[in-house]
Amino acid sequence: MPPLDPKSGGRALWRSLDDLAGDKAFQDAVGREFPLYADEMLAPSRREFLMLMGASVALAGMTACRRWPVENIVPFSHRPEGYVPGERLQFATSYDRNGAAIGLLVSSFDGRPIKIEGNPLHPMSLGATDPIAQGTLLQMYDPDRSTGLFERAGQGEGTPRTWDEFAVWAEPILARHKASGGAGLRILAEPSSSPTLLAQKKRLESVYPQAVWVEWDPLTRDAEREGARLAFGRPLRRHLDLGKADVVLALDADLFMDDPAGLSHTRAWARRRKGEDGVMNRVWAVEAGYSLTGASADHRIPVQSALVPVALGRIAARMLRSGLTLSAGCEGLREAIERFESHAFDDPRLDTIAADLLAARGRGAIAVGPRQPAAAHALAMALDAALGNSGNAVTYADDPEPARPGHLEAIAKLASDLSAGLVETLVILGGNPAFDAPADLDLAKRIGSVSQTIRVGLYDDETSSLCRWQLPEAHYLEAWGDARGWDGTAGVVQPLIEPLYGGRSAIEIAAYLAAGAWTPGYELVRTTWSTRLPAAGFEKAWRRVVHDGIEAGAAPALTPVFAAGWGGEVARLAEARQLGGDAMELLFAKSSAVHDGRFANCGWLVELPDPMTKLTWDNAALLSPSDAEALGVKAIGDLVTMSLPGGSLVLPAFILPGQAKGSVTVNLGWGRSRAGRVGNGAGVDAYPLRTAASLWRAEAKLARTPGSAMLATTQDHWVVDTLGRKEEQVRAEELIRTGTLAEYRAKPEFAREMVEVPHAAPISTYPIEYNGHKWGMAIDLSSCIGCAACSIACQAENNIPVVGRKETWRGRDMQWIRVDRYFEGDPESPGLAFQPMTCHQCENAPCEQVCPVAATVHDHEGLNVMVYNRCVGTRYCSNNCPYKVRRFNYFNNHKHETAVSMMVYNPEVTVRMRGVMEKCSYCVQRINAVKIPAKNAGRPISDGEVVPACAQVCPAEAIAFGDLNDPHSRVRALHDDARCYGVLEEINTRPRTRYLARLRNPAEGKA
Amino acid sequence: MGVAAIDRRDVRDNLGDDPGRRAPLVLGKHDNATITDKVCRIVEMPKPPKAWYVAFGIALTVTGVLGAMLAYLISTGVGVWGLNKPIAWGFDITNFVFWVGIGHAGTLISAILYLFRQNWRTGINRFAEAMTIFAVICAGMFPGIHTGRAWLDYWLFPLPNQMAMWPNFRSPLLWDVFAVSTYMTVSICFWYMGMIPDLATIRDRTTSKLKGAIYGIFALGWRGSNRHWHRYERAYLLLAAIATPLVLSVHSVVSFDFATSMMPGWHATIFPPYFVAGAIFGGFAMVLVLAVPCRQWFGLKDLITPRHLENMCKILLATGMMVGYAYAIEFFISWYSGNPAEGFVFINRAFGPYAWAYWTMVFCNVATPQVFWSRRARQNPWIIFGVAICVNVGMWFERFVIIVTSLHRDFLPSSWNMYFPTWVEVTTLVGSFGLFFTLFLLFLRFLPMVAMAEVKAVLQKQHHEAR
Amino acid sequence: MNQDRQSTYSFPSWVDDLKPLLAAVGLGLPVVLVLLFWYGASPATTAVGYAPPQPVPYSHALHAGQLGIDCRYCHDTVEVAAHAAIPATQTCMNCHTNIRAGSAKLALVRESNVTGMPVPWVRVHDLADYVYFNHSAHVRRGVGCVECHGRVDKMEVVHQTQPLSMGWCLDCHRNPDAHLRPPELVTQMDWQPPAQMTRAAYGRQIREKYNLNPSEDCSTCHR
Repeated sequence: MPPLDPKSGGRALWRSLDDLAGDKAFQDAVGREFPLYADEMLAPSRREFLMLMGASVALAGMTACRRWPVENIVPFSHRPEGYVPGERLQFATSYDRNGAAIGLLVSSFDGRPIKIEGNPLHPMSLGATDPIAQGTLLQMYDPDRSTGLFERAGQGEGTPRTWDEFAVWAEPILARHKASGGAGLRILAEPSSSPTLLAQKKRLESVYPQAVWVEWDPLTRDAEREGARLAFGRPLRRHLDLGKADVVLALDADLFMDDPAGLSHTRAWARRRKGEDGVMNRVWAVEAGYSLTGASADHRIPVQSALVPVALGRIAARMLRSGLTLSAGCEGLREAIERFESHAFDDPRLDTIAADLLAARGRGAIAVGPRQPAAAHALAMALDAALGNSGNAVTYADDPEPARPGHLEAIAKLASDLSAGLVETLVILGGNPAFDAPADLDLAKRIGSVSQTIRVGLYDDETSSLCRWQLPEAHYLEAWGDARGWDGTAGVVQPLIEPLYGGRSAIEIAAYLAAGAWTPGYELVRTTWSTRLPAAGFEKAWRRVVHDGIEAGAAPALTPVFAAGWGGEVARLAEARQLGGDAMELLFAKSSAVHDGRFANCGWLVELPDPMTKLTWDNAALLSPSDAEALGVKAIGDLVTMSLPGGSLVLPAFILPGQAKGSVTVNLGWGRSRAGRVGNGAGVDAYPLRTAASLWRAEAKLARTPGSAMLATTQDHWVVDTLGRKEEQVRAEELIRTGTLAEYRAKPEFAREMVEVPHAAPISTYPIEYNGHKWGMAIDLSSCIGCAACSIACQAENNIPVVGRKETWRGRDMQWIRVDRYFEGDPESPGLAFQPMTCHQCENAPCEQVCPVAATVHDHEGLNVMVYNRCVGTRYCSNNCPYKVRRFNYFNNHKHETAVSMMVYNPEVTVRMRGVMEKCSYCVQRINAVKIPAKNAGRPISDGEVVPACAQVCPAEAIAFGDLNDPHSRVRALHDDARCYGVLEEINTRPRTRYLARLRNPAEGKA
Repeated sequence: MGVAAIDRRDVRDNLGDDPGRRAPLVLGKHDNATITDKVCRIVEMPKPPKAWYVAFGIALTVTGVLGAMLAYLISTGVGVWGLNKPIAWGFDITNFVFWVGIGHAGTLISAILYLFRQNWRTGINRFAEAMTIFAVICAGMFPGIHTGRAWLDYWLFPLPNQMAMWPNFRSPLLWDVFAVSTYMTVSICFWYMGMIPDLATIRDRTTSKLKGAIYGIFALGWRGSNRHWHRYERAYLLLAAIATPLVLSVHSVVSFDFATSMMPGWHATIFPPYFVAGAIFGGFAMVLVLAVPCRQWFGLKDLITPRHLENMCKILLATGMMVGYAYAIEFFISWYSGNPAEGFVFINRAFGPYAWAYWTMVFCNVATPQVFWSRRARQNPWIIFGVAICVNVGMWFERFVIIVTSLHRDFLPSSWNMYFPTWVEVTTLVGSFGLFFTLFLLFLRFLPMVAMAEVKAVLQKQHHEAR
Repeated sequence: MNQDRQSTYSFPSWVDDLKPLLAAVGLGLPVVLVLLFWYGASPATTAVGYAPPQPVPYSHALHAGQLGIDCRYCHDTVEVAAHAAIPATQTCMNCHTNIRAGSAKLALVRESNVTGMPVPWVRVHDLADYVYFNHSAHVRRGVGCVECHGRVDKMEVVHQTQPLSMGWCLDCHRNPDAHLRPPELVTQMDWQPPAQMTRAAYGRQIREKYNLNPSEDCSTCHR
């Protein structure tokens, strides 16, 4: 990472493009801006050219004149020092989501950010990212973003304005508020961890003492905060170190992908799943919906969400009976806990959990999900303390904003103020409250009633349409800022590109509201950090922070003391009753694709299959098989109606084995009306059913409604008959070879012996020696959590198109690496196994032999290369691929790209035209990017230098890549590991990608 | 006198199997002149019957639709078809194999039956050969258009180019290119060779200068001299010898597309003979479909006699059972090989989502031909026609079953999927029939549909024996 | 058959005279094909000689030839990157602030220097977009600039001297000897091997010395 000179890196390289929105003009601009890749950017002409080329190569001679358009090379007028055109540069930054940040490294080509990766230095990222963090890149290039300022009088699209015009309008109003102490001023913001924004907030409070800063997060995690307040008398943050936990109990909690520290959790957990020297951690999951944690757990108990606290209570009771003593301050809990004994709900496995936790005193952790009530969190905290887990796997730190009222409380207050007419001016910084606030607060209507409303947002969305002013917000990749990780690690957010649409960051706006004048974000951030960093040698320290992206140092851990007198709260948990009959509990969940709805227009994410359902482009009512049967839901997509007191909703059903009986899960954030050309009309909006009283869980009546919807899944298309299901079960066992820790101890190579591999040696008339590099991959199924971060990483790296719902439904999804998902066992409580599947680079590749034009062939490093420009598209290779990992461009899949959205293309990879086959290349562009400079310098390539996109992003380090000829490479070691096996080896494809058998660690050795 | 007597007797039927005498192959009072008249009249009538115009009109329209489909396909992308992963081949290759199969009977009849001195071939070989060529034209079209970038198809031919690239000679698809084009070339030569004397006949009979000139040029100045006949016979024999191995090779090579692959359900050594048998089966069925109405409409019952039909029915019965045997043995092998993937594919064929297609195939190809055990069925044109249609349907489904059911559930259950053809695919299939019948109707109108010269030769023998 | 019939068509006698013509066609056809492919590979179709007018009449003959400025002074990234960067306006101004500061020919350059807008040079050597050529990989191995770009030092207006076709690339990758030289001398346009030594023989030594084995893998150029 070269040190970034804020002047050049932030500015000089860049001219604002907002005046160049017009297509032609913009393309010229692009041509000038990105000299050597002009052609990349102007892809349409480029693709025609590809076609022309293809057609004319051997016909050369028929056409006399020059065959392709004249192209300009536009060098810099003044090239920045040390800048090499056309080379990849990486910059560190941070991405703040729901008030917790992860560190990122963003690759940039000639000033175009084209790839987001994790910042290895950031403890909340450790070099990995999740799908959504990567999706933000496409979000920045989204042509449907708010392209400028708009003023709305009532309804309509509003009239375009400039920042100056806005200032003219705003100044008198701000002046008035200053005079009145800001009585009528409300600021509704989304959660943020930015120290600088916090500073602006303080400034605002000093300027407008009466003004109220309201914070709302539809995916609020306040329950835990309140739990801490209950237990310790003050809000605290609870941190888990899964590396120190032998036994983890996850109660309705997804520690991996629905957690601000998910990436670090995953890494720590995965490192303890290898079964090396015969030890592994064990995860118990008690949950209603199937979460990634549940899928990776060694035991999963499907339980209605309402009964999860009861399960915890019963476990607690068991432990008390077997002599666990509660720690000081918690004695009051005893009889509260004993009340659970008499509860109707019970499960024998709860005893085992209790025993397991007791056996692992000080080496365990109890995690409770954000959906559960505060008291459940408090109880878990008490038990952790009693078990001695606190201080080891479980630690506490101060809440960064202890004074902040709860999200729900805050927005409810705002709603009442609005209806009471106390609000003159409402400023909405980000978020999309009109869409995602609790329905019964009826915020949409109330916002509309305020005359002076200012909306700062990336999109001109549902909320903007109700506000007088829509101000374009600068994307975090476009603006200066800073952010703190969940653990408190602070980092700087630096821009990779000038705001495409002249947007300004929340920080700048907040500062403007306070000061009444514009200050560049860079100045504001610098000012904040001048107080954080030592004054002596600030410049040096500052540059270091900007370069590394973080300032090391998490919030210090502390050992809190319990408050007394909250037994009653816990006792109330025991009153939860099991739902039955036609009444079901409706659970609202975060969507793994669109998050809370803000990514509804991000093609990559909308088309990313949900890890469990493999559903794209839609959300659905997830039902357990037995409930589905009871309701008369035969196939996925059959419509059901949910009736709640507050209203009803018709949406397609999806039968998800493992969903708790009597509970139905619906993902939030879908069914947007003003998301953009991708998101509009995708899925069904569940927010209208969500009230302040039932933020996460409601009681609903379900009924089958005639008709059914077209749901596009990437697996299990159509109803698979029993014949197929049976076969699927049989094969899954051979594809994903699984063993218990005990079995592994007894016979480490158990996986190899599951399938007989007849071919000992390669049978070939022309045996090929791989003397140079011999690239290979190893995927550890024991640590893969199925998050599909690899799919998006690959999509971004390799210019993989988004094909849309209908094409996905047809079975033409394009992701080069997919994550296969297989259920195992009882459909009411099945196990779940994931298997990332991509081109195996077979040494004896069936696809190569059948291509009539030799468009797919082997190279001398064992790569099975696909030459797009030679492919005529017979699709024979795809037919003959036993892994079905080849992807065909049935249409021109880049047709709909705009000049802006094409800026995301990786110039190192050809954009494939219609009628061409494509597939995983082991990121050959990355191999060459390392190989050539290494050879220039005459040095060997060291292990870990070449990292494909999928391996780079994996939070679980499940994918290893390297040179099999290097005896010291990690991949070599893994290929020699006892657990290693090849999928379909028996048909002698000799795959270069091999898998490590999946290990489980069930209690008493049996699952 | 005597001759007349024989004729009268033979008018009734030529189905008797009197070991003493070879059964006559021409019925009715015929000498060379009458035969010439019978056949040439069809070509010479100033205006063809309305029926012809109607049929041709329909065929031409459907061909036009085909053209539109191709334009749409090539301008938009293969996505207009219902293909997906894992089913990357559907109607396209199904139709290709189907038509190639049809294209088999012709050369078989003309070459192999000729070498085996099966004189009854003379009545049907001409239009069987025509059918072959038109079928191969239809067949050749599909591999050409099924590619994603059809404008680059010429890369499949070994042409020198600036890329210094040759095609991949290991690919069965490339073998197809050579096999089919060779077959096409030889068939055309064979067909044309055989036609020369008859073209000369028409040339000599026609009164119009233009026709005379056109037929004359194609008759290559045939004068029917002894030397001409001598060389003609030699050349014909030679071509027959060349064509014979092709009959076997073409469909064997086509079957390699599947046999050499990895896919369970495709990867089978039985495919070449199985495909050839199937092709002859389907080819003869198509000959019957064409022969039965033609002999009716064009009054050729004397030349295409019940015996001809009966013989073909027998072949249908035989090859039908060969195909049936292949189906059975596939199942046996899939079990015997102990290859679980292979085993599942066949169970899935018979009882999976595409069972309907499989059982349609079995019924049409194995069950229906069994009626030909009965002599009456073999002599009833209606039954013959019905069964022949059935067999054609069955043979199309055979290819569909082989291609789609094998692909739709292959090794990894995660990629299993279903295949639903779009209207474009269906229309293209129909369109290919339009093309076929357009060409065939033109043939009926302008070329002698029965090999007069050869029939006459048979007739001479017949009369001679009769004496 | 009744040959005497009036309409009977028979080939006129002059048709026999056409036999030699038939023979000629038979023999000529191969020749035509050869010509066709020869034309296909000729400069007319491979863009050899393509010499578009540039916005600034910059003369390589003058700068690289007479003044002997090293290629790498302007194309400075050629040894480290895939692309041999076209120099920034700045680079021109390094000299031209003093030399010929007022020349009309340099108007565009001066303007660019002030406005910051680039000079829109016209691309001469233009590979297909699916071809990933890397300058550093060749220059560092002793493939001289002249091998692909010709005697630029003699060009008033730069033009393409080689077909830059795939076959042409492969020719060199298959037997590179005749195109190799000491890596430090790559920019020397008129370099010759020591006397009484063929380029091939000398290049062979280079190849062995640096252990060069040009790859013919598709993945070398296509991604």
